[in-house]
Amino acid sequence: MSPVITTTDLNLYYGAFHALKGINVGFADRHITAVIGPSGCGKSTLLRTLNRMNDHLGARVTGEVLFRGENIYGPGSDLVSIRTRIGMVFQRPNPFPFTVYSNVAMGPRMHGVPASQIPGIVEESLIASDLWHGVKDKLHSSALDLSLGQQQLLCIARVVAMSPEVILFDEPCSALDPETTIHIEELMRRLSKEYGVIVVTHNMQQAARVSETTVFILSGQIVEVGPTRVVFTSPSDKRTEDYISGRYG
Amino acid sequence: MPKGFLAQEIDELKADLVEMGEYVVRSVNLSIESLRLLDPDMAEDVVTMDENIDHQRIEIERKCLRLIATQQPVARDLRVIMATFSMATDLERIGDHAEDIASIVIRHADEPLLKPLIDIPRMTEVAMGMLRDALRSLVDENDELAKKLCERDAIVDGLYDQVFRELLVFMMADPKTIARATYLIMAAQAVERIADLATNIAERSLYITTGVYSELNAD
Repeated sequence: MSPVITTTDLNLYYGAFHALKGINVGFADRHITAVIGPSGCGKSTLLRTLNRMNDHLGARVTGEVLFRGENIYGPGSDLVSIRTRIGMVFQRPNPFPFTVYSNVAMGPRMHGVPASQIPGIVEESLIASDLWHGVKDKLHSSALDLSLGQQQLLCIARVVAMSPEVILFDEPCSALDPETTIHIEELMRRLSKEYGVIVVTHNMQQAARVSETTVFILSGQIVEVGPTRVVFTSPSDKRTEDYISGRYG
Repeated sequence: MPKGFLAQEIDELKADLVEMGEYVVRSVNLSIESLRLLDPDMAEDVVTMDENIDHQRIEIERKCLRLIATQQPVARDLRVIMATFSMATDLERIGDHAEDIASIVIRHADEPLLKPLIDIPRMTEVAMGMLRDALRSLVDENDELAKKLCERDAIVDGLYDQVFRELLVFMMADPKTIARATYLIMAAQAVERIADLATNIAERSLYITTGVYSELNAD
């Protein structure tokens, strides 16, 4: 399976702190990759590096992040385009304080999509994120009135509306109840038929359930990468075995 | 509402087990036919089939392990996966018994049968019906089908006793028949064990529904 994003000798520094050390990893297209590791290991930092969301934190990056062969840290990279093509869903749902409809429509509008196409995009995106039936009769109600789970689905619809190629999920279910969590996991599986999906999670069981490839990070370094069924049955590194067995982390 | 991922995986697992079961039935029937005809080539086919059965068991075990490790099944889902794991082992053992019968043929095909086979094929027919129904009880979640298997296990046991007594008479009357009689007793014993294993499968099917282990074997 060919990678859609590849990191080559990726290092990241927050000031003097060396947060990511020599990361070399590929993330496959139309595939779910989970990134796991103990708190503070650098998994969210790695995720944010994949669409340059660390830029505003003042991080210094060396090495390359290749998106379809182009280094997103190269000179002249279009940050807006990068973050459109590599969308992100965050830990806490963060809908805009507008209507449900406007939340999804805003991105396409700002990108110059003709007004006639917007309603169709909104509906398709809400269907794709499994929210349409829950909101079709209240599209013009405030997004903040939705339940937390629905707000997260709305955030997913917002990303989908921009026709991304990769969707990054940063602990997408940590604030949600178990039923919504299972719902979002099923949704991730469906989305991975069309997009590359990379999910950071501290919930190992979630990583095991939903992903096809697992990347284990410890202290800013990759310890093991492999098919999830292998990582969770016969990991090659003892540190991986100890972590997934709950012996630390 | 579409089935969840785990539910689909479990359906596929059950389908794999049924497919393995059908293959095992063909293997057992072929082994008895090879004995009836004293056909070593047919018996060699049974040996080859047993290798395939072993591979099927390993694949099912791998799937069960993967599901347990990655999907954290609980309650009924966990019972189904664990039961399927055990049933695959039972099916593999049935395949081994078919191979044992085939091995008898391969070693002794040059010696005529002591008597035409009547009861052993009959035992096999009943045992294969039991096996099919045990697997059906898993797929259809039909407890009544599983519970009725013990009646047929008693039929197989009765036929085995009959075969044994009849061959015992042969051996007592003419010691030169002891070797050939022993091979037929071994074959009958293999079929009797096959019926017991089919009952085991039915017991595990019942366990899935009730969460309780019940003994269904006639003896």
